[in-house]
Amino acid sequence: MKRRGRGIACMWYPIGFTVAANPSAATVKVNEDGTATLLTGTVETGQGALTVLGQIAAEALGISTEDVHVVSGDTDTTPMDTGAIASRTTYVTGNAVRLAAEEACKILFDVAGPMLGVRPDQLEMRDRKIQVKNFPQRSLPLGEVAYHAQAVKGRPAIGSATWNPPTVPMDPETGQGKPFNTYVYATQIAEVDVDDETGEVEVIRIAAAHDCGTAINPMLVEGQIEGGIAMGIGLALQEEILFDSQGRQINPNLTNYIMPTSLDMPAIEVDIVDSYDPTGPFGAKGVGEPTSVPTAAAILNAIHDAVGVRITSLPATAEKVLAAIKAGPGREMKQLTAA
Amino acid sequence: MSSISMRVNGEMRTATVAPETTLLRFLREQLNLTGAKVGCDVGDCGACTVIVDGMAVNACLMLADQADGRDVLTIEGLATRDQLHPLQQAFEIHAALQCGFCGPGVIMSAKALLDETPDPTVQEINDALAGNLCRCTGYTKMVAAIQDVARSRGAGTVKLPAPGNIGRA
Repeated sequence: MKRRGRGIACMWYPIGFTVAANPSAATVKVNEDGTATLLTGTVETGQGALTVLGQIAAEALGISTEDVHVVSGDTDTTPMDTGAIASRTTYVTGNAVRLAAEEACKILFDVAGPMLGVRPDQLEMRDRKIQVKNFPQRSLPLGEVAYHAQAVKGRPAIGSATWNPPTVPMDPETGQGKPFNTYVYATQIAEVDVDDETGEVEVIRIAAAHDCGTAINPMLVEGQIEGGIAMGIGLALQEEILFDSQGRQINPNLTNYIMPTSLDMPAIEVDIVDSYDPTGPFGAKGVGEPTSVPTAAAILNAIHDAVGVRITSLPATAEKVLAAIKAGPGREMKQLTAA
Repeated sequence: MSSISMRVNGEMRTATVAPETTLLRFLREQLNLTGAKVGCDVGDCGACTVIVDGMAVNACLMLADQADGRDVLTIEGLATRDQLHPLQQAFEIHAALQCGFCGPGVIMSAKALLDETPDPTVQEINDALAGNLCRCTGYTKMVAAIQDVARSRGAGTVKLPAPGNIGRA
């Protein structure tokens, strides 16, 4: 019969490595029509990084995301980026974009100050305008200031910046270092049905709570989490690279390397935890890779809850689960005592 | 070589092909319709899905010759010059694709489903997409997008979900 079980798994994941140089650079140019152009060396692989970087630039400049033209990944023309790797783009490249936009802002504030009769530090960017803080009626359109900066003052509003997570040297006495600049946290709960006659596991539901700092684009964060869970389910139950005795892969195809289809997907509930990291752009950290980290552990804990067996190698195929059920509940199981 | 003629995206096309030419190679290499993708080329991944006489098929598993005299619809046949197909709009609104390689196949599978079953259940949607592998999205937002199109059928365009509900099933 089918037995239902629930399992929970938590994880932390490092964002912004500091063991080696990890810089990103960006250039932001505010155009004379009030739009902006962002140059970044990072690339879009579908995760939405360029959308998020455009949002960060727009937020810093007080304009709409549609106003930001993002130029990416052409090594002839864009600044250097360490890469779309290590769940670092929103955090590291995002910080570079924010700093570059702020550099462009500084020029615009210097130019707009005399035009509005105030000091530059009394100005802010909002709603496509440069306005006096607390006096929004005293404002100038951003494009007008950008034009004035270029055509009259000879200071085009261009900002370039680099951000590199600061490296902290290791303490020679304690060995204490700081290999990453920040960390994200997540908990996932899996609900599974295990057929105790066949060993087949069906994942019914996964609830995923992720801290990624400020979610700059919650819909894209959800997309990352849902995709990560799909990969985690594959890792937990299906995907295995098989080798023959000569070390050749015997399943280098999608017929025998089984990855999740729509029919393998459970209901997914995503909870983006309210969080703010002061070291990230507008409080953001990252979300990419961490999403698939706790899934398999949660599913294997749920299998244990359902049928009392610990599976200790992945994937937990039906054959493996059935063999474990036949062998009986493991005695090596650690019993948790009540606190 | 054999001479074939078929309707592709509403237009009659005639060509001479080698007998081993698959429908996928024919579409991509002779008609330059590269929307259907060469993924696995053995019918596992569904990236080449097109609609033949109303049925979603893997174009890599069908010979061009077998499509002779039939009606073939590819992803290029969905959008007009001015407007995306409702499924394409919904996929965009929901961010249902990430890298997008599976997208043309997924959307053609979804279209074949909705043409046959205008108001499908989630299970029916999952069944229809079962032959389309996606490595990025976990399929969740695709299902939500297809449900959106089913719900707003007849309205001409896809209604935007209420703010805050975008991307949620």
